[in-house]
Formats: sequence, C-alpha cells, structure tokens
Amino acid sequence: MRRSFARIVSIAAALVCIAAVVSCSKPAPEQAKAVEVNMFQLKVEIKDALDGYAAAYSAAHPGVTVKVETLGGGQDFGGAMKAKAQAGQMPDIFVIEGLGGYNVWKDYIADLSGEPWVKDTDLAMKVDGKIVGFPVAIEGYGLAYNADILAKAGIDPATLTTRAAYEKAFAKLDSMKKELGISAPVSMAASVAGGMWWVAAQHNLACYWGGGLAFDDTSVIDKALKGELDEARFTQYAKYLQLLYKYADQNILLNGSYDDQVGAFAQGKTAFLHQGNWVDPNLKQLGVTFPIGYAPHAFLDTEEKGLYLFAPSWYCVNSKSPNAEAAKAFLTAMATTPEGHDYMVNKAGMIPAFKSVTLKPAGQLSQALMAANAKGGNYGVFFGMLPDGAGQNVFGPIFDLFAQNQNDLPRFISDMKKAVANIPNM
Amino acid sequence: MRRHRLVNVLFVAPCVFAFAMNIIIPFGFGLYYSMTDWNGVSPDIHFVGLANFAGLFSSPDFIYSFIITVAYTAINIVLVNAVSFGLSLIVTGRIRGRNFLRAGFFIPYLIGGIVLGYIWQFIFNNALVAVGKSLSIAALQSSFLSKPGTVIWIMSIVNTWQYAGYIMLIYVAAIQGIPASLMEAAEVDGANYPTRVFKILMPMMANAFTISLFLTLTTSFKQFDMNLTLTNGGPATRFMDTPIKASQLLAMNIFNTATANRMAEAQAKAVVLFVALVVVALLQVAANKKKEVEL
Repeated sequence: MRRSFARIVSIAAALVCIAAVVSCSKPAPEQAKAVEVNMFQLKVEIKDALDGYAAAYSAAHPGVTVKVETLGGGQDFGGAMKAKAQAGQMPDIFVIEGLGGYNVWKDYIADLSGEPWVKDTDLAMKVDGKIVGFPVAIEGYGLAYNADILAKAGIDPATLTTRAAYEKAFAKLDSMKKELGISAPVSMAASVAGGMWWVAAQHNLACYWGGGLAFDDTSVIDKALKGELDEARFTQYAKYLQLLYKYADQNILLNGSYDDQVGAFAQGKTAFLHQGNWVDPNLKQLGVTFPIGYAPHAFLDTEEKGLYLFAPSWYCVNSKSPNAEAAKAFLTAMATTPEGHDYMVNKAGMIPAFKSVTLKPAGQLSQALMAANAKGGNYGVFFGMLPDGAGQNVFGPIFDLFAQNQNDLPRFISDMKKAVANIPNM
Repeated sequence: MRRHRLVNVLFVAPCVFAFAMNIIIPFGFGLYYSMTDWNGVSPDIHFVGLANFAGLFSSPDFIYSFIITVAYTAINIVLVNAVSFGLSLIVTGRIRGRNFLRAGFFIPYLIGGIVLGYIWQFIFNNALVAVGKSLSIAALQSSFLSKPGTVIWIMSIVNTWQYAGYIMLIYVAAIQGIPASLMEAAEVDGANYPTRVFKILMPMMANAFTISLFLTLTTSFKQFDMNLTLTNGGPATRFMDTPIKASQLLAMNIFNTATANRMAEAQAKAVVLFVALVVVALLQVAANKKKEVEL
C-alpha cells in the first residue's frame, strides 16, 4: 500500500516536471502584436551608441522593441550565430562580412532591393542583382602620414602618387632618422603571431585587387577566383609591398601587435602608418595632436590618387522571421532620419555610407576619407569576395614569410601564383 | 533482486543521460558530419564519404600541424617530467621552506593558459628584446617567437613552466607513499643518492609515471589556449614548398578550419586527432603498466 503510494507520488512528480518542460518550450502567446526585433552585431566600439539608438527608436515607436546584442572583442561571431541558429533563436537583424558570410547564411537573408535607402548608397551588398545587405559604415585606408614629420623632412605628401615617389621619400626619411627622432619610416605589420596578417594579406593585398581601377571594377579579383594571377600587375604590387617592408620597423613588422603598430605611429616614431580610419579613437586615446592625412597606396608605375573605401560589414534581415518588416523599418529609419544620422556620425563615430548624410565625423582620418569620398576617384576593396579563410590561412603565412625574407621577390610572386591557382578548389 | 536492478538503473540513469547527451551523441554526430560537406548552417547536407579525410593527407598545413604536434608532445613529455621529477626530489628532501617551495612551483598552474600566453608573449617579444638591445646581445635582439625553428621549443618551455608544478605534486605524493624504511635500508647498505633514486625510488613510483606521462601526453596533444595567445600559429615557415604557420598545433588548425566555415573538414581533422590520441595514449599506458610494481 505504502509502496504504491510512493510510486504514485513519484509518477505525479515526473509528470509535473515533464509538463513544466513542455510548457516552457512553447512560446508565450503574442500579446497585442508587440513586435520585438532582435539584432545581433559585432562592433563592440559602437555598442553603447547602438543600444541608445535602439532604445530611443523603441520609445518613439510604440509596439516595437528593438533589442541589440553585441558579441565582444574578437570573439567568434560566426560560431555564435551558428549556435543561435541551431537553438532556434536566429536574430532578426544580423551581420555578415562578405560573400563568404552570404553563402553561409543565404537561406536566411531577405531581399532588400525595394528599401528606400538603396538609391542613397554605393556600398550596399549586391548579389545576383539583388540588394541583400545594409552597409554598416564606410571604412577605408590609404597610407596615413604624420604631416609634421613629412614637413620637417621636406616631403610634400601630395607628390606621393607613384611607387618611385614613395621610394625616394622613404629613403630620405630613412637617412634622416636621427634628426627626425623616428625609428623607421613606416609602421607596418604582417605577422601571423601578432594577429596582424590582415594588414598585409588582406588590406594591403586589396591594393592589387582594386587599385587604379574603377570603384566597382572587380575584373582582377574575378580572374583570381578562377585561379589566375595577373603577373605584370602583381609584380608592380609586390615591389611596392617590398618597399613598405624594407622601410618598416622590423620588430613591429615581424611580431608586433595592433597596439605596437598604432602606438609607434602615435608616439611619432614613424612617419607612416598602414591602417584605416578605425584607428581614430586609438589615436585620440594616445593623445595624438599632430596633423594626419592619407596618401594613396600608389603601387603602380603609373599615377594613383585614390583611397580604398569599403563597407566592412552589412546588416542583413532574417527572411524567415515574422518580424522582418519591423526589422526593415528599423534599418530604413537609421538611414533616412536625422536621428539615425546623428547616431551613426556623432554617437557611433562612423562614416555613413549614405550620400544624404551631411554631418562630419570627428577623427582626422575619417575626415580625410570623407573628403576623398566626396572628391571621388577612389578604389574598391574586394577581399570579401574571396573564399572564407583564404586571407588568414593561405595568404597570411605567405605575407609573413615574405616579411622574413624581404629580398626574395620571385619566391613571393610564385607562392602567390600557386595560392591563387588553388582558390577555385577552396 | 529485481527491485535492486531497477534501483541501480535509476541511480545510474542521470549520469548515463548526461554522458550520452554530452559525449556519445555529439561524438556520433561528429563522425557523421566528418563524412559530409556541411558548412555549419546549411540545411542541405551531402554525404561525401571519406573525401574530407583523403584531402587532409595531401594538405601541407595539416601534415605539418600533425608533425609539430607530435614533436611538441615528445619534447613536453621529456621536459615536463624531467623538471617536475627534479622539483619533487627537491621539495621532498631536507631543505628549508619545503612547503613554501611546493606552493611556489604550483602557482603557475593556477594561471589560465590565455593569460599566461599573453604574459610570456610580452616577455619574449618586448622584455627580452629590450634587454638584448640595451646590452647589445645579438641573439636576443629579435624575438624567439619570430624564429620558426625555435618556436616549438619556446612553447614547450612555457608549458613546462606552467605544468611542471602540477605533475610535481603527483610525484611528491608518490614519493611520500614509499616506506622510509626501504630508502633507509638502502642507505645503510651503502647505496649512494643517485643509486637510491634510480634503483629504489623510480621503480617504486612507476604508477605515478604512468599517470604523469599520460597527463602530459594528452594535454600536449590537445594544447590550444596557450598556443593561441602566445604564438597565434606564427611565424610563417615553408613546408612542402607551401608557406604555412610554423607553430599551429592540431587543435588550432582545427579551430582555424572551423572558423573559416569549413565545418566538415574541421570535424574530419578532429576525428584524426582523436584516433591518433587514443592510439598513442593506449600504447603509452600499456608500456608503462608493465613497469609498475605492487608493494
């Protein structure tokens, strides 16, 4: 009798547990169509600004709540997204960083071709004629210079438009190191160990893919995707890279980290820095007061005057989400309303990819980019079209090895030729 | 009897459930995915048989990672065990401050591998280079971490620094478990210290060697965190005429493959790592077991 009572109690307890689990896994019924848009992004530096903007937007739009989740500092965003997708918690707005990301997530990516902001930008992500991504910002780079040091050395940055001009300027700076108080002309990084492969093997290599061509001319990288390297063009590029390597601070080049590289420039120990406008906040933090500008990466024998501009990432809308329309409206508001512009420029410190924005960013390099963007004649950045891992796992070691053996130009070219020939199999 | 069996099953069930959900089922899935072309997201998965495995043994970066992982493990087994055995002899001897020393040697083990990697990276890249420059010592002026030939050794040294204290504790426990009378008898019989250590101490603590060798072997084979922060796989070197990363151990190779959205290929690499580790570990344990003596 007693035993059967215990059994009943235990069975009842088990049933309660099961019921609890089942009821938890069922979504709570929607109340009065309150829509919650979940956004998942990876730019830690704009987290507070974006959270603030999302809260203001939610307050201004009753019935819509935008929640932003940010994945911090260099964590594996792709991995976190996969975990979310597997758990059935796919966000409504998420970030992709190029064609590789598009191919992984294409089943979830909504067509944004009909959105009102599309006509206002050149940098929306386009695949097969469809607009699929909202450009988060414009980023870009040239070779940043310390105008004070160049003036002291008697070099006019406006003349730095050919490889020959750079060679002369670097040699002059190198001979005046003591007078100028610099340790090397260039602050360049190429080390796999320091996690800086992307400076050389992605951003610098992008000069080869897009430099001197029309902004949307992808012919060179299209060829590479079929396995062909344009040897004449690449040789010119390799000579330019060799110059940057040769006149770089060797310790930073071979094992420096991001902080080492940017720090050397900020302390006035180098005249040039190979970095994009994202270093503006770092330079401000390091108390930089000297005037800075961008010179073009002029690697060709002919003259080049443009900077490299790109959208580093795009917001995509989850096409399978019931909140897709609310998510699209949120992005549209960001691109078209004064509050959205204020958020992008003043709060987040980004350069918006939309031409109708008239606000000016604060950083010197960002201003230089914005001026270049207004002037035109810039070059596109296409490394995002390469297969995933090509930069980090294939080109990275090649560029690192070339930094270790800077005189072996033919070897570098043949290594790259072989690596590019293998791209179609990746 | 019958009720007993039910009770047994009920008691074991939670553990079996957790073990199955966390180990067995994911392991089965892993094996399956290693034979597909899955990218981690796409719902359409194709079975490709052993194609992923076939590709591995012709890719220079994987072969190199495999070789240096074996080399790194071999260096580590010798270095960690030699150092920790030496330390254990010191701290079980008659010196003053034994307990303080024990604690001191153990502390590096309490520092996480990530933090430790960054600290040693700073030491090798900045501190030693600065010393080399100010004293004009040529060998120190470029970082050891930037030399493809030395980087594995540097990693082993850092790993030894971290891990020796932990293995030392195992040896200390084993040494203390040996009856003092044995050592005293040998001493009375005129055996000198090295003879006592090699002929009495080491055979008597053979089971401690089994455990310690097993632990160093498996942890070295799976090394990841310190690898990531200390060297990040760098610098580059040339192998089979292809530039590859000179210090990318297997675990990191798998990680970098996976983060490039090549999940199935990464999974195939992981299966290879698993099989290699099981084979090597079983051989090692079998070899060591033969030398153990019962008291």
